[in-house]
Amino acid sequence: MLNKKLDLKRLLFSMASLVDLGQEATSSKDLSAKMKAALYVITGMFSVPTAALFVYHPQRKILRLFVEKGRRVRERRVNGIPLLPEHIKRFRMNDPHTLRDMAESAFFVLNKEVFSDLQTTIFLPLFAKGDFVGAIALGRKLGKAPFRQGEKDVLRVIAHQMAITLHNARLFLEVAKKAAENKKLYSSMHQIYQDTIQAFATAIDAKDEYTKDHSYRVASYAVAIARELGWKKKDVEGIYIAGLLHDIGKIIIDVKVINKGATLSTPELTEIRKHPQISYNILSKIRFPWKNIENFVLHHHERLDGKGYPDSLKEAELSDGVKILALVDAFDAMTSDRPYRDKLPVSEALKEVTRCKGTQFDTKITNTFFNVLRKELNGEVKEPHILPHLHNLDMSKVKALSANSDM
Amino acid sequence: MMPKGYINDMGAVSLEQTSEQLLGKGAKTLIVNFADVQYINTIGVSIFTGMVHKTQEHNSVLCFTNLKKVHRDVFEMMGLIKHVKVFNNEEDALRSLRRRESNAE
Repeated sequence: MLNKKLDLKRLLFSMASLVDLGQEATSSKDLSAKMKAALYVITGMFSVPTAALFVYHPQRKILRLFVEKGRRVRERRVNGIPLLPEHIKRFRMNDPHTLRDMAESAFFVLNKEVFSDLQTTIFLPLFAKGDFVGAIALGRKLGKAPFRQGEKDVLRVIAHQMAITLHNARLFLEVAKKAAENKKLYSSMHQIYQDTIQAFATAIDAKDEYTKDHSYRVASYAVAIARELGWKKKDVEGIYIAGLLHDIGKIIIDVKVINKGATLSTPELTEIRKHPQISYNILSKIRFPWKNIENFVLHHHERLDGKGYPDSLKEAELSDGVKILALVDAFDAMTSDRPYRDKLPVSEALKEVTRCKGTQFDTKITNTFFNVLRKELNGEVKEPHILPHLHNLDMSKVKALSANSDM
Repeated sequence: MMPKGYINDMGAVSLEQTSEQLLGKGAKTLIVNFADVQYINTIGVSIFTGMVHKTQEHNSVLCFTNLKKVHRDVFEMMGLIKHVKVFNNEEDALRSLRRRESNAE
């Protein structure tokens, strides 16, 4: 009667312990903390003062100490215990192996010192979905009593649970590693993409000797405005790319027309006005990771009053991206030398922009441009995008003009 | 040592570490007062198993006092009680300790 009562108590305690183990194994702690707590639960269940959990590394074919309790496995064993597939084949899956079971095992004989350090009496190989994932070495019980059959049954349940936890952790680590590799690959492809686009921009600008680096400046000014408008990072990147490529169609236009010093004839003007459509035709074949690049480029010569080209669109039909490119393209043209005229001083260009506000250029975009310029002049912007490209500034006039941006 | 509340997570491992430090400094007797302990789970049992083991390695004595019945039953079932000296309270433990010291003299 007394024994039956004790057996029932033990059974209840084992069940409560398995619940504890389940909680530890599924907790949100990191794997090492989780496994250490699980090892404490296991050692508590059997009053075992020493134990260790090893994790198997299949590529290196070693069993490495992961967490332990009670006794330090000698330092020289930290690098791992070699464990060959033929040794693993001899293990009974998730079944406790006693010293007697292991006496004939070459693996155990070769590593006797490790198991002796831990005072091992039970070796529990952990298998999940047929894969060997690790092992638990349990030391002697406090009273040195052998493990009873019922306790070995409980150990089998524990082995399954621990093996699944380790297996899942391994899968998670593999997924995390793959994700990190993919991120790295994406980043490197992204860089190649950017470099290729920059190379195109250089090629575009090289065709027009007067507008060297025009595409870079347009892209940079456009970024300044888009950021000030609070655009998302990806959209800012998109307008930068659109800025770099907006004149890609000029590659097909006759270089003599582009660099002609005198006033253009009607057919030449018609020819040069084809470049937004050609740019669109080229870029629409590319699946950009950014939205609307080809449309920004197609309409960067449109005006609010409908007098632009190629489609004579009016204010309501123009997106903010188009309005930004239209403004910064024109501003850079004004502040650059052209074959038929010298560049305008920045203050004159700003006056011209102000004059064309509401007819050629959008009011909100123009005000934003002046606002950023003012902030850059006042040193309020960490990474200025406009000021570094402007030279021989008539500072007082520019400051005064940018300060009156809302007028 | 006077642990408090629930001894059911790895936070209580400090008990094992403290006992190891005390034994390392030459303590011959460790007294654990369970008066304020409310709950002990398997992690707790593991910690006390470790303390028993360490005191045995150092040829020292581990005393448990103020044990509630529920905790005593757990330690009995797990076979720990055979390896510790149990007293009703700290005074009894200290009295016994002094008696043992005077007998040794």
